[in-house]
Amino acid sequence: MKKKFLLVLITITGISLLASCGGPLINAQQVIASRTDKELPREDPNSSLWDKVAEHPAKLMVQDVAEPKLAEPGVETIRVRAIHDGNWVVFRLEWEDKSRSLIPESGTGSDAAAVQFPVEPGANVPDAAMGEKGKGVRIWFWKSVWQDDIERAREGKGDRVVSLYPQGSTDHYPYQANESAREEMETRYAPARAAANPITAQSNPVQVVMAEGFGNLSPAPIQEGTGTGQWKDGRWRITIARPLNPGKGMDTLEAGMRSYVAFAVWDGAAGHTGSRKMRSGWIPLVVE
Amino acid sequence: MARVYNWQIGRTMSYWYSENRPAKQFGAVFDINKCIACQTCTLACKTTWTSGRGQEYMFWNNVETKPFGSYPLGWDVQLLDRLGQQKWEGNVYTGQTVFEAAPGGERVMLSKRETIDYSYPNVGEDEIYGSVERGGSLALPQQMWMFYLARICNHCTYPACLAACSRSSIYKRPEDGIVVLDQSRCRGYQECVKACPYGKVYFNAATGTSEKCIACYPKIEQGIQPQCFVNCIGKIRLQGWVSTPDKAREDNPIDYLVHVRKIALPLYPQYGLEPNVYYVPPLHVSDRFLVQMFGPGAPAAVRAYRNAKEDKTLQGLFALFGSTERTIPRFKIAGDFALALDDAGKEFMRVPIYEPVYIRPAQDRLYQIMRSNTT
Ligand code: SF4
Ligand code: SF4
Repeated sequence: MKKKFLLVLITITGISLLASCGGPLINAQQVIASRTDKELPREDPNSSLWDKVAEHPAKLMVQDVAEPKLAEPGVETIRVRAIHDGNWVVFRLEWEDKSRSLIPESGTGSDAAAVQFPVEPGANVPDAAMGEKGKGVRIWFWKSVWQDDIERAREGKGDRVVSLYPQGSTDHYPYQANESAREEMETRYAPARAAANPITAQSNPVQVVMAEGFGNLSPAPIQEGTGTGQWKDGRWRITIARPLNPGKGMDTLEAGMRSYVAFAVWDGAAGHTGSRKMRSGWIPLVVE
Repeated sequence: MARVYNWQIGRTMSYWYSENRPAKQFGAVFDINKCIACQTCTLACKTTWTSGRGQEYMFWNNVETKPFGSYPLGWDVQLLDRLGQQKWEGNVYTGQTVFEAAPGGERVMLSKRETIDYSYPNVGEDEIYGSVERGGSLALPQQMWMFYLARICNHCTYPACLAACSRSSIYKRPEDGIVVLDQSRCRGYQECVKACPYGKVYFNAATGTSEKCIACYPKIEQGIQPQCFVNCIGKIRLQGWVSTPDKAREDNPIDYLVHVRKIALPLYPQYGLEPNVYYVPPLHVSDRFLVQMFGPGAPAAVRAYRNAKEDKTLQGLFALFGSTERTIPRFKIAGDFALALDDAGKEFMRVPIYEPVYIRPAQDRLYQIMRSNTT
């Protein structure tokens, strides 16, 4: 009881009110996931619930640990809020990005953001830059193109190619010659899909991945996560939600716990992909 | 970075990984002098591998006109310009490779690859270099030139695409040196697309992954040459296996042309990738241009090619180009025939070195008419 009281005290002292009236509560030291009894706004970055929780302005730096590095800085701050309900935690990330980049083509990427957790919190916390061998990280990775794929499909709009080149026309695709073999031929001429590459079969804008250092990112054993993003007036506002305890092979969060969290942002128009990104170091995370 | 030996530039150089040569290295010779830019090779590849959504602008094989054609746009001049003036001293390249010239934070000196760069596949087509001065069209040798450059992935010994991939999604097959991009692993970072100085990796917007030439490895595994080779109308191509110079064998067609006669040369060896498609340079182009494109051996290669008609072995070997679907690991000249031999030295094909010549008299005695060439 005493401990909890102390924690609340520390939390309160960490919160400094924004000077202008009506602005959000700012907590510069840590990300606090506040508890709610209401329905979690897993896919609602504009829910009024977000107005009630403190915001952490996370400083981002260029990824300059592993080649290829990011040469020019991109987004330098993201504003983070978090809420949990005892089962899931949702992060809301907000950052400035003048251009909305969805479908990547040659020379561009897709706007994206990621939330990273150490598998083992505490003293054994790995390097914040993708973890280390034997000390893994789990990452919930939202990508605007995956969300766009889902939205286009829902609205009955065309595929990525139509969307990128609405005026484009093609004389003939081999699969058009034989309707009964269409699916098989379409797959044959989409090698990544034929090879069951998970990035071609995202039915969710958030992919859960794991890493033990640079270059070995792979899908996590449990793909439980969701989120959504909205781009308006030069600003992304997105949610990324995850279960507190996804299960075996994953990291675990629980109410009352202190851990760490890190963030990364990619600016598609600037050609950010892979290790060319803006990232934070570990930021203390308090799950209330 | 490791230190590796690159025989094409005559020295050791820096590379992201250490030297690790395959058991056999895919190699090819293209005799540019015979290419007619019919694009049959391009279509043979396109219909086989890249006819899907997102592959519309992909040409794993393309044929462009030099000096003004390029696909992707300016792939060659762009990088030459970025590298700046560099130097060969004899057969040793003392300038910087794309690995050595990589700026801090990069593994390779990159090129720009944007959608617009893929929007003009026919740029510069059939355009000649230089303008015809008064009476110039009558002067010999011709002052003006152009030539066709057929290009596929070079299945480089030191691939820049492979070095650049931060996920190690690209690998060189240990059995045949073919460079492939693992489609199950790629996450579409496009590092390889920007790193290949030859512009031979393409980004597929439909799948979100990068794709490249696979040298038709399912055919190679059966001892058959790739699609763009067997469909070549001009019979300019021969696929086989290339050795390092110290292990070159006289009876290996590729070794013979590359190492023994030095008549087939790598494309932009100065980039440092040890590319494995070798070109017989065009014989009507200025030496300066050829040296920039194929290295210091170009003038001697042109001389040897000009003399090929006096050289039965060379003529015989060129007669084997496009003569069989099968890969020709060994060859032999026997009388007036060139023989294709398998690995055990057993003949599986023979072609006459000289085409039979028939001379028809100008007058047809039977019908009592004069013949003309158009009948
Ligand atoms: S030509 Fe380009 S794509 Fe092919 S192996 Fe070399 S670097 Fe890679
Ligand atoms: S098929 Fe042969 S001759 Fe025709 S463009 Fe291709 S390489 Fe040249």
